[in-house]
Order: sequence, then C-alpha cells, then structure tokens
Amino acid sequence: MAMEEHKSRLVYTFYMLTLFLCGAVLFLIGFFPASYSVAEQESSVPIDRPTTLHGEKLEPPPSSYNSFILLLIDALRNDFPSESTMPVSHERACLKLSLHVDIPTVTMPRLKSITTGTLSNFIDIALNVGHTEQVEDSLLHRLKQRDAVVSFAGDHTWVHLFPSEFTRKAENNDSFYVNDFYEGDKNVTRTLELELEKEDWKLLILHYLGLDHIGHVEGHASPKINHKLKEMDDAVKKILDHKNMENYLLLLTGDHGMADGGGHGGNTPAETSVPLYLYSKNCSKYAGSTKRYNQIDLTPTLALLLSVEIPTMSIGCLIPEMLQTLTLEQQMYAYFYNAHHLLNKARVKFGHESVRRSDYFGWYQNATLLHKNLLEPLRLGDGSSASKVHYENAKLNYLRVAREISEQLSESLVKFDYGLIAVGLALATATSLHIVLNILFLDVATEQLGLDILKLGQLLLSLVIGIMLNVVGHMLDQLMTSSMLQSLLLLFPIVASVYLSIDVAQALIKIALPPLYARRLKLSIPLPLPLLLCYAIRTFTLGSSSFIEFEYKTWYYLGNTLILLVALKTLRRRITKANVELDGRHLHKIASACLWQQRKIFVVLILLTLMRYLHRLSSIKSTLMLFSLLLFWARLRKFTDTPQAIFNGIAFMLVYSFRGLNGQVQFFVLPDQLASRYVLALLVLFWCCLALVFVLGYRTALPQQQSGQSLLDGPPKSNLLKLLQTNLTCSLILTALLYKVQNIVLLPTLLITLDETYKLCEAYGTTVRKFSVRLVHVYKIIMTIFVARMFYFYQGNSNSLSTIDLTPGYIGQTSYNPVIVGFFVTLNTYSAEIHSFLYLIVHTLRADLRSVGIIQSLPSYAKAADSIVAPLYAALVMLPAAFYLCLMVGFRYHLFIYSVFSPKVLYDCYTVLVFYLVFLSTSLYFKLFKRDA
Amino acid sequence: MVSRFDQQKTKHQLFHVSISLATILICMTYMQYRRNWAHLGSFWDSLIVPIVFFGELLKVILARFFGRIEDGVLTVKQRQKKAAYFTPRELLGGLTLQFLCTLLYAFICIILGAPVLANYEQTFVLSLLMTLLTVSPTVFLLGGGGALQVCFCEKPDFITKCEDTALHLFKYNALGGILGAWAGSVVAPLDWGRDWQVYPIPNVIGALLGSALGNIYACTHVLYMCGRVYMSKKRS
Repeated sequence: MAMEEHKSRLVYTFYMLTLFLCGAVLFLIGFFPASYSVAEQESSVPIDRPTTLHGEKLEPPPSSYNSFILLLIDALRNDFPSESTMPVSHERACLKLSLHVDIPTVTMPRLKSITTGTLSNFIDIALNVGHTEQVEDSLLHRLKQRDAVVSFAGDHTWVHLFPSEFTRKAENNDSFYVNDFYEGDKNVTRTLELELEKEDWKLLILHYLGLDHIGHVEGHASPKINHKLKEMDDAVKKILDHKNMENYLLLLTGDHGMADGGGHGGNTPAETSVPLYLYSKNCSKYAGSTKRYNQIDLTPTLALLLSVEIPTMSIGCLIPEMLQTLTLEQQMYAYFYNAHHLLNKARVKFGHESVRRSDYFGWYQNATLLHKNLLEPLRLGDGSSASKVHYENAKLNYLRVAREISEQLSESLVKFDYGLIAVGLALATATSLHIVLNILFLDVATEQLGLDILKLGQLLLSLVIGIMLNVVGHMLDQLMTSSMLQSLLLLFPIVASVYLSIDVAQALIKIALPPLYARRLKLSIPLPLPLLLCYAIRTFTLGSSSFIEFEYKTWYYLGNTLILLVALKTLRRRITKANVELDGRHLHKIASACLWQQRKIFVVLILLTLMRYLHRLSSIKSTLMLFSLLLFWARLRKFTDTPQAIFNGIAFMLVYSFRGLNGQVQFFVLPDQLASRYVLALLVLFWCCLALVFVLGYRTALPQQQSGQSLLDGPPKSNLLKLLQTNLTCSLILTALLYKVQNIVLLPTLLITLDETYKLCEAYGTTVRKFSVRLVHVYKIIMTIFVARMFYFYQGNSNSLSTIDLTPGYIGQTSYNPVIVGFFVTLNTYSAEIHSFLYLIVHTLRADLRSVGIIQSLPSYAKAADSIVAPLYAALVMLPAAFYLCLMVGFRYHLFIYSVFSPKVLYDCYTVLVFYLVFLSTSLYFKLFKRDA
Repeated sequence: MVSRFDQQKTKHQLFHVSISLATILICMTYMQYRRNWAHLGSFWDSLIVPIVFFGELLKVILARFFGRIEDGVLTVKQRQKKAAYFTPRELLGGLTLQFLCTLLYAFICIILGAPVLANYEQTFVLSLLMTLLTVSPTVFLLGGGGALQVCFCEKPDFITKCEDTALHLFKYNALGGILGAWAGSVVAPLDWGRDWQVYPIPNVIGALLGSALGNIYACTHVLYMCGRVYMSKKRS
C-alpha cells in the first residue's frame, strides 16, 4: 500500500457535517411545521354563537356557575389520586372522569390544548423549554372580551402563552428549576387564599408544579409524592370548605401523566391518561363514569358552561356528564352549538361539497329537525315520553356528528411541507453518500473521483440548476416561503445538494464503469463481512417500531456478538498458529494457554452482561459507588501525572460526599441546614479541583521558555495528545459528578471495555493473513460505535423522550439557566458517545503497535487519526441518520409516527449534533497544535 | 473433482444429507404433533434433543459404513487412530470436549442476552442442541483428540477420504445451525405477544431450520456437480 494517503480530512468532514445538519434541520422544519393552524383561513369560521335554528329563535344559556376554578396539578397521573393519598378529593368529587392526553406529553402543548381545544404539533416538545409563541384565540381571550376577571397562579408558561389575558397573575419565577419541590407551590396556595377572599373573579387557574419536579428528580415511587398529594388534597379541601364558595365549579386535573421513571413526554398509558375530578355545591353524585374523553373535549364544554363562544380552533366534542346541571333546552343548545361549530370547521377544511355528501351531514340535518320540533315542548316543560325519545335521538345524533368531525379534523391536522422535506432530505442524503464514497475510495478519491476538490464549473452549473429549481418550485407552490430573504436563503441548500449529487452520481458511474476496464477502482478501506452485516442490521431494523422501542436489545445483541466473534476468531487463529509450530502435540495445553491469554476480553464480556442489571443494584449503591470511583481513579491514572491524580482523587471524594449529603449514599448524617450549606462549598471545591487538573494538564502540554531543557530530554512528546488527554480526563471527572449514583460504575467499565476491545482488534489484525493497518482502524471504529451505543443504553436512555434525566442539569444551580442545564443534561445523556469518540482519538494518537509485534507501521498508525478515523466515524454516524430521514418520509402516515418514530428522529439528529460539536472542538485542537506529526 | 451418481462419495453425500433432512423433518412433525411449543425448552419433556442425537449418530454410522471399503488402503497413522477409537482415554476426552462445548455455548447464550439468574434449563437445552449440531458429530467420528485437531489444524493426516466427506458436510450443518440460532433472536423484540416468542423457542427452531438450510445448500451443491458431469458426458 504505497499509495496510502494521510491528508487530513478534518476540514472536509467538517463541511459535510455542517451541510448534513443543515439538511436535517430543514427536514425537521418541513416535517413538523411549527404552526400549521396559521396556514388555515380560520377567519372564515363564524365566531358568534348561533341564535336561530330553522327560523326559530335560540338563546345561548347563561353561565351556570358564578365562579370556576381550574386546579391543574402538573404530572398528576391517573392512579395518583386515591382514597389513601387524597381522601378529601376522592370522597367529595361529584364526578370522576379520565381524560386522554395527546402527545407530546409536556406542559406547554398541553396548556394550549386545554385552552384552545386543538391538538398540538409534535415539535412543540422542543419549544416547551424556552420559546413560546402567544396563543391567538382561546377561552381566556373570550373571557377577556366579556371583561370577566380571570386570576392565575403557578407555572409561568401560562404567562408566556397569555401575556395580557389575566386580570391578576402570580406566576412562579422559575418553573424549570426542578429542585424546587415546595416553595413555588406554597406561593400558589397563598394566592389561592387571597383570591378566595376576593370573590370578584369568574375563573381562577392554579397550576401546581411540585409533583412534576419530585417525579423528575426522585421518580414516581418517591415517598415525597404521597406527601405532595396530601398537600394538594389540603388545597382542594380549603376551596371546598371556604365560606365564600357558593355556586362554584372546581375542576381538578393534570396537564399530563408521569411515566414510571418519573419523567414524561412519551406515549405510555401512564403518561397519556390523567384524571378529571369535578366538585360543586350540592351536586348529585353520579355513578363513577368509566368513559374516557379527550383533553381537548374540556374546551368546548367549559366554553358552554362559562357562556362564552367556543374558540375557533377547537375541535373537541362535549362531555355530556358535565352538562347535567343545565336544563334540557340548554343542553340541546349546547350539543347543537358544538356540532354547528365543528360542521363549519369541516366546511372550511374539506369544502362545502364534500361536507354535503358526507354521512354526518345527514345526521346533523336529522338532529336539527328533531331539535326544532322539540323546542316547543321543552319550553312548555312537557315531559312526555315521545319528546324524551326525540330528545335522546337528537342528542345522540349531535354527539356522533361531533365525534365524527372531530376525528376527521384531528387526522387532517397533519401537514407536511414537502418542499422543505425534499430539500432537506436531498441535502442530507447527498452529504452522507458523498462522505461515505470519499472514505471508501480514500486513495483514489482526489485524483480519480475528484470528490475532494471544489470544482468551479460544476459549482456554477449547480448554481444555475439551483436557481431554476428554486423558481420552478415557487411557481408550482411546492416551495413555500414567507419572504424574499427566505427564498434566497433556501437557494444555498438547494445548490449544495445539487452540487453534491452531481459529485456522487459521477463517482458512482466511475465506480460502476471504470475509465480503464482493466483497472477497476479498488476500495481503499477493507470491509469485513461481519462488521458490515451487523452495521446493516442496525440500520435496517430502524424500519420497525418495536425495534425502535427496544433498540437497546439490538445493540446489546450485535455489540456482544461482534466482540465474541472477534475474540473467538482470534483465539482460533492463535491456537492454529501455535499448533503449526508444535505439529499437533499437546493441543489442549496450547488451547488453554491461548484462552488464558485472552481472559480479559471474556471478563469484559461478563461485565457487559452484568451492566444490563445495573438498575437492580440500588441496594449496594454506596459500596458500588466507592468501588467504581476507586476503579475510575486508577483508570484515569494512565492519563494523569501525580499532582493531577491527587486533585482527581480529591474531586472524586468530593463527588462521594456530595451524594452523601444529598442522602443518596451512606454518609455522616447532618442536619438539613448544615448539609445544604456544605453542598455549595463542596461543589465550589470540586470545580476548583477540576480547574486545577485542567490547568496542570495544559501547563505540562504547553511549556514556555523551557525549550532548551526539553531538547535535552529527548524528542518533545506530542502536545496535541496531552491536551486531548487533559480534555478527556476533565470531561470524565465532570461526568462522574453528573451521573446517577449507580451509573458511575459505567465510566470505568467503558474505559476498560474500550481498552480491551482495542487490544483485541490489534491482536485480531496481527493474526489476519494479510496485515493492514486500516483493517485494525475499521475494526476499532465500528467496535467503538457499538460499545458507545451499548453504554448509552445501559445508562437508562431510550428512544422515548420521557427517559431524559433532567436532574443533573440542576446540580449546583439555584435557578434555571437554559445553557448550563442544556450542557449538563447533554453531557450526562450522551456521555458514553462523547467519551468513546474522544477516547478513540486519544488512543489512536498514543497507540503503540510495537506491543503486538508490528514495528514499521507506528508512524502511519497515529497519523490516521485525522485522515481516516474521524472522517470514517463521522460517515458511520451520518449514514444511518440519513437512512432514517428517508424512512420517516415513507412512514409519514404510519400509526406510530408521532409516538415512536418522531422522538427517534429528534434523538438521531441530536446525536449527530452532539457528535458535530465534539468533532468541532477536537478538530480545532488538531488545527492549532498539530505541528510535530 | 468429478462426481457421478454411482460414485461411492456421491452416494455417501446424498445419504448423509437425506438423514439430516429426515431428522429435521421428524423434529418438525414432532413439534406439529405436540402443538404447544412451550415445552421445547425443557429437558425431560422435549424429544428434540434425542431425535437430533440419533440423527447425528446415524450419520456417523453411515460414514463408518462407507469407510469399510477403504479399510484396505489405510496408512499407518489412520490405522492407529482407528484402533484407538474405543479406548477409555478417547471416550473420556470426547465426553469432556462435548461438556466443555456445552458450557461454552451456555456462556455465549448468556452473553447474548439469555437471563443470567433464571431459565437455566432452557439455556442448557439450547446449548446441548447447539453442541449436538456442531461439535458432537465430529467427536463421534474422530474422538475427542481428533476433533480438536480437525478444528485447529490445516489438514491432519490421519483423516480418511470418507471421513473427510462427512466432515465437509458436518461443516454446513454446524454453520447453518449457529447462524440459524443466532438469527432466531430476531423475533424477541417484536411486540406480537405470541407464546412462541419466549426465549429458547425461536432459537431452537432457528437452529433446526438453519441446519436444514445448510444441508439443502450442500445437497444442491452435490446435485449441481453431478448434473454438470452428466451434461458434459452427454455432450461428448
């Protein structure tokens, strides 16, 4: 292999990753349009309430209660309120219903649904944190038009959604600060007491957050949960027993449920089902209804009870059980109004003609005729059986019209922006194919395929094609942009994808039909079949929803298979080799000697199997934590010199004491006040230690004015390697602070696993008949990807958004700072992938193949870090993501698109983004410090 | 290499493959007869392991039967080997080797996701089946030491032609069985909720089907070679 290239491909990879991310973002914007309701002409839906029916005058019912209280408890799931946890609420409820909540099960979209009655967009989950747009029309807007007093206390998301709709508001300062279990809720209860004295309000909204925060930090089985529920029960009791409360309606519900781990955002029954308890004075208790309604049904029902118009966007049905206090005529009106509203919406959406031809239009006509005939007897108070039958008939018809239209409308809410999807997909696919081809044909990529260089002529050509595509797309209404600037910006991805596609097409043609038939283009990278097979299985199983839900099984299976396969193959080759020399005698002795030689990899396999049961080890977590910190320190000792190691050890002791003070491991018992004071000091000390390790590492790497001395010491060791090692060490120490107690053992195990796997790959490489350094690289890279992914799942991550652990984001924080919380949570969630990549780079730079008996290849081995390892890793990260984006387009009408496939696409794109950031920082170091390579 | 239907080697190969396929057919019939597959993982209740055991034994007897013809032309080493077949040392070695192999397969099962603290019986049955499909035939044919040599040497010189034919076919059987059992796990994550998705059943069936496929492949190969010889003869 004389022609092996060692040009750094970091810049090229950087461009490709950037373009890929641009494509992915465009795709996501197109797939989840941020606000699809705006595109509809909502103005054409009549706003006012209907006042006539076939010529008869109708009167909208007046408000049936003087005051309404909406008591929202964040993350109140269906089985939380029970006789033992919330006795008063359970005992005195007039009506207990269960509501079905739509995904995404996070607060902001849920509040939108409750107030506007429309389903929310999936991407709202990303907007949940931080950005919130104001709502156009809702129950609160309608109340404000009527000058009704609306008061609010609790989660400040409400205030972002409705900045001017509340008469009085007492929002929490910091709703995202999850370590606040009690303070915010106390304030809400205080506001409640004040408001109960005032009596002037029509609607009082209370939003308690404590329960959700407890869930996030301590899980759904925490003893604090019952404590919290008791507190909520007391608040309900306070309202029910207050002397001023005469004619009121109290609604107790949750915005979304809570998954078993304590998080939310996913699609499990525990998350999508919440209770709705109703309380009013002298109610007649109905038998507990087991019927389930949708959360959006609450909006039209509340609108009728409040005697305001139904919000234009509402597509909910009515909840008949809640209307029992109205007279029959008023109930009839309510059913009529909602059906009428939905029919108008259907007319706007599907067109007059198709509505007239539909089934539900017939039912509607039928119901209105019956309704008209009933008006007279109902007003006279006629209770004859004939009118009863007519009444039931009309009610049923109205209800089924509403349900039918509601279902059709919620299905048709899904809208894709195919223009953006096409552009994004083209860019992402072209980029990943480009980088894959470039890496596979590394040695000939530049001169024969011309993939590396920027060709001006081709750029101009693609510019022309891009402009044409852009113009034609706009003319055919396939590309929709709101401003000139946006369409000009869109030109950039189009041109890039055209340019890359031309490159890819040319390269593919050249590979299929080489210019000189005698010399086919040879792959520069060896592709061993087992690796390829495992990688292909990992990619193609993305097409099945159950394989996505249980993705960890795929990774555990394939990862262990790969390690096992390589280990057994190496073992066999070693024995065969030794056997040839000894000519078949003492075979069992040779076999056992070789097996003993490879004992470590089998220990690693056993460790990997044990890690699966990590969550069961919580009973010995103190011991486990001490042991793993010790092991971790010993592992890190390889990268650190003595002073660094000392500070590193202190940092780990501080981590243990921090967990001890938080009560998670055994430690001296201190009074609470003292403990909380010490925690802060501990964390400050920890950061100091971390900074010291960092500074010490950099100081040895960047010697100033000692050049004379270092020349005497011998050749200067690579600064780059030292800097990267320091970065890796510091990042690992920080992760030890962020990780959950029983997860800390994963960190040393990860390092051991990677180390042993790399050794195995080297040993395997030397036993192959034709040794090639690149084969070793390929094995190491793919093994790293598999091991990283396995540890990612060992940690408790999954493809459901509810398993994201938010607690590490708030360590040492006293308020919500999106940047710090985001950084910590990302570092915690993706620690395995980040550190595996960094470790691979460091390992490649410091690797010494002499230990396995290969001397000549040492320089070219370390050189490969930026010419092969990083680019190939990037290509292997991007390719499945691009494939998955293509799958998403195919599955866009799949039943599970929003519950299973969409969270996964967010995870995938975020994985690429995290890799991008890590890659970026690493390549910066390469650019700045790589002189002596 | 020429091969004709009437050649001893071809006959041996075809008989061998027929026995393998018949064994698996009997297993399938048995499973069909029992309807409920839940017992497949139990040691005492399932007949799969004994059926496969007898199938493999039959194949070895077949190889011995065809080997008789070669008896006259054996080398000294081959003769020695043959004479040592029933010595206690060889018998013990063979048993130990199979036992160790079963342990290795059980270890692999656990590494690849079998429950660590439960389902020991199922894991044992699966690894026993895997041993029977992969290692046992070779051990039955050559004894423990011989099997080790076959596994780790390029080509030991004590193997007769007939044994070589059988070993070649055992390889397909073993590879098919391993790949089948490995691929059988594909149904584990699926949410169909069928009772045959429980742990050892897909792997057991996968191993049987895999070895059947391996044998079918070998059979096709043999028939194809015969067909080619036949065609070329006809043409000339």
